[in-house]
Amino acid sequence: MFSNSKGITLLIFFLTLFLGCKGEREPLPDRCDYDGVKIEKIYAVYFTLKDGKEKKFCSIVCASMSFSELKGKVKEVMVVDEISGKRIKASHAFFVESEVITVPHNKNRIHVFGNREDASRHLKRFKGRWVENPFQ
Amino acid sequence: MILNALSISMIFIGLLSALLVIWGGSSSLILYKKWEKSSTQEERAFLEDRSYLVLLIMVIVLLIRLISWPLFYGTLQSFIHDIEGAMCIFGVTQVKPGLTLFLEYLKPINFFFIGGWLVLHSLDRLTKTAPIMGMKLLLLTVLSLLVFIESAGDILLMIGIKPGTLVSCCTTVTDILDRPTRTTPESILGPQYAEYLKILYFVTHLLLIGMVGLVLKLKKLENTFSRRRGVLGFLFFFALINGIVFVLSQIEVFAPLMMHLPFHHCLYCLWQYVPDSILMYLLFILGTFSVGWGFTTDLFGKIGEASDLLPKYLRKIYRFAFLFLLASFVMLIIHLVLDQYVLE
Repeated sequence: MFSNSKGITLLIFFLTLFLGCKGEREPLPDRCDYDGVKIEKIYAVYFTLKDGKEKKFCSIVCASMSFSELKGKVKEVMVVDEISGKRIKASHAFFVESEVITVPHNKNRIHVFGNREDASRHLKRFKGRWVENPFQ
Repeated sequence: MILNALSISMIFIGLLSALLVIWGGSSSLILYKKWEKSSTQEERAFLEDRSYLVLLIMVIVLLIRLISWPLFYGTLQSFIHDIEGAMCIFGVTQVKPGLTLFLEYLKPINFFFIGGWLVLHSLDRLTKTAPIMGMKLLLLTVLSLLVFIESAGDILLMIGIKPGTLVSCCTTVTDILDRPTRTTPESILGPQYAEYLKILYFVTHLLLIGMVGLVLKLKKLENTFSRRRGVLGFLFFFALINGIVFVLSQIEVFAPLMMHLPFHHCLYCLWQYVPDSILMYLLFILGTFSVGWGFTTDLFGKIGEASDLLPKYLRKIYRFAFLFLLASFVMLIIHLVLDQYVLE
């Protein structure tokens, strides 16, 4: 059937084999596990799964969308305090939704704070409101 | 307006092709009317000579328009860093959503018609009496109008995209639970829709490849086979169904697998993170369109001397369809196998 186009056949097949192997995406260290975007550490969210693996996300939006899918597998959720940049347990954090966008591509407006005073200050300054911990 | 090498190329190509198709389209309409009225061989030979320049320039314009489809996405990709909130082409499409969506639908349609016309043109060039000339000129007039709309749309879009515009990107649209690509198959196939969609894709794609192979093997392209047009029409219809299944299965199943992002369903992100998937898509599009081009060539090219050349010509088209569809399938399988067994 391919007597006239043997060369083309071989070329296409070798090309596809080569690209199929070469094109495999290697795990990227600082990319969001939800949508692959580069993570800014100050807005990151980390899940520790029950099997010991860690998942990282660029924002509360991506993390909460993943949380609904992974709920049964998540052992602990860590968020980052916007003021100090330190990782804290989500259950100990204060969440404020304000007019300030942290991650533009998904318009995340939820901010994370380690103490109530910082959160309250941000809330008053940027027309915010308290929101509940999205990871419970 | 964002100025870079690609956007300038898009505007230049748009302007050039818009001007040339106005001239080419009107010339081909005039030539078509004269061709229809001509009765003697001498008159036709005279018109054939006159149409030579029009056809030559239009072939070049149409070939450039074929390239402008991938160039369109390349240009949108180059705008990502200038649009706030865009992390892939989807974000850029949100700057002028209506116009961009219109162009995203028009471009594949034009690509198909241009390809079909070029196939018909090259068949006509193999003949001595140019029996398809009249049909070719008429189709070129219609095609010119479509190309003009597309070119004007390209220019308007390139001018209309302002740098620094704030947009939301794909995560907020392609990953929501009530996205149509999820709800539609789920309503038909049930909660296990993703698994069924995967199987459905393998079945329809392999069936299509098998049917094209059978048509080639069983000599169903000969002029003696009376139901050829029906068979080719059915193949084209089936290729379109397979196209819909391919797009749905890519969005819902294969793209998240290939990206290693199980909850993310954006095809633009797939092209960004797994660049060779662009080649896989190109092969799929060429394979599917080749099946269609076989049908349109039979539909418009079965005239006079061209009829005798048709079986051999159709065999070539369907051989390409077979190869392209198979190659795209092989690429997908390699990705899935590597993801499943090697990288895990």
